[in-house]
Amino acid sequence: MAIFSPTISHRRTEPQAATPPPMRVAIIGAGRGGTALLDVLHQIGTIEVVGVIDKNPTAPGLRRAQELNVAVYDQVPDLIKDQHPSLVMDVTGDPAMESSLQEQVPPGTGIVNGQTSRLLWLLVQHETTLQTELLHAEKLAGIGSFAAGIAHDINNPLQLILGLAENLTDETDLEAVHAQAEDIIDAVKRTTAICRDLTSYSRRTSLRPDGLISVNGKLDEALKIARYAVALQDIEIRKDYQPDVVAKGNPDQLLHVFVNLITNAVQAMEHQGILTLETATVDGGTQVRVSDTGSGIAPELLNRIFDPFFTTKPPGKGTGLGLYNIKNVIHHMHGSISVESQVGRGSTFTLTFPGETGQAEGEAS
Amino acid sequence: MSEFKSGFFVGGESCNGRVLVVDDEPDIRKVVRMTLQKGGYDVLEAENGEKAIEVINSGENRLLLDVIICDIRMPKVNGIEAIAYFRQNYPRVPLIVLTGFPDTDMATSLLRQGVVDYLVKPVEGEKLKASVARAMEQRELAHL
Repeated sequence: MAIFSPTISHRRTEPQAATPPPMRVAIIGAGRGGTALLDVLHQIGTIEVVGVIDKNPTAPGLRRAQELNVAVYDQVPDLIKDQHPSLVMDVTGDPAMESSLQEQVPPGTGIVNGQTSRLLWLLVQHETTLQTELLHAEKLAGIGSFAAGIAHDINNPLQLILGLAENLTDETDLEAVHAQAEDIIDAVKRTTAICRDLTSYSRRTSLRPDGLISVNGKLDEALKIARYAVALQDIEIRKDYQPDVVAKGNPDQLLHVFVNLITNAVQAMEHQGILTLETATVDGGTQVRVSDTGSGIAPELLNRIFDPFFTTKPPGKGTGLGLYNIKNVIHHMHGSISVESQVGRGSTFTLTFPGETGQAEGEAS
Repeated sequence: MSEFKSGFFVGGESCNGRVLVVDDEPDIRKVVRMTLQKGGYDVLEAENGEKAIEVINSGENRLLLDVIICDIRMPKVNGIEAIAYFRQNYPRVPLIVLTGFPDTDMATSLLRQGVVDYLVKPVEGEKLKASVARAMEQRELAHL
């Protein structure tokens, strides 16, 4: 269901006009190293990965390359003939590949292999760690804005507990005493749930392995967290969920993505409007749409919103890392994110994840 | 109508005054009612600013309401908007803010607008009753 007609669509991966042509890079080896290298290089606008090669057709990097629309090959000469890379990166660690490359690559084309390749692999690992750290730092910075919501949700039950306990000091009706004691127990339980939600949200995410995540469940969980950061009382929330949709990734990171998108959407509406959360299966993959009826994003800003440290919020209100981190998480999950926006009408963020079969962890049916 | 004084009869019961409690949480309205009724007050409730405006404008309330206790974070018309309305249209009815969020800037700004007290939940029954009693004194002074 669309609530407005989008006029602008932008994907971060489109090359920018009026910039020098990107460096054309080919990656040889699609194992763990090649996949990680592909992921990092793909995020850099001035580099175009033109092809990935592996003799093993089931190598993980080949699948990743196909998801990113990067050509895959099993022979080096074919790739060089088709794509004319300016740099070939050999991450196979295979001495035979090292010597054969010297003969296959035309003069003028750079080659990275051996120890240099290993150094790059270490840098890529370092970059991946930094991205995880940045995500955590941004999440903790965001929790600062939860103070008002947390105070509201703790102090209200505390008022109930205090009021009832004061009344109990001279309440003579035994039935009323029992009922009010039950109310106190319920209020305490509600208060502890707040701490449980928030501690699980703020914990570090890097240690949890990727698994199948129930997307609808995560969206609902994110709504619970987001209401600490933004006032949802006057926001109409519409949910249009397809049952049992899943995505593969780190559940904590996906929760963070959803919290961020919902928070942004609500902030764009200034406390009044419609927040629409939709999930669907599209072309075998999972699609999530988060739409608002808020202020929208100016066309000239659309291609910058995923850049690090870019923010339209006043100083101290936004880190400028929210959408940048979201983009990194989505890429890590082998998905994509795009935005449609119309100034004065609202924005829709569309997330697409590759199709997965199976049941999400922790789901009964 | 300015000769009206509190300590009147409502429904045949003796009453120290009529208080409107505005809060979106039914639990809060319940305990505040409990506390104030023990103090001899007649208590009305509203779940948001919009309802509160309806209540104060209905029937005898526009004349008989003595004190308003108002939350800030509420749906529809929030506390800030409701307080502005009450100050404008019922400047003689004293206002007490009872909120879950201790915000010094907001407290200062509201007290400047004439709110008589800014209480942060959880507030003890005695303190709440004392605050309402002080507000009642202001109300009576306003009638002189």
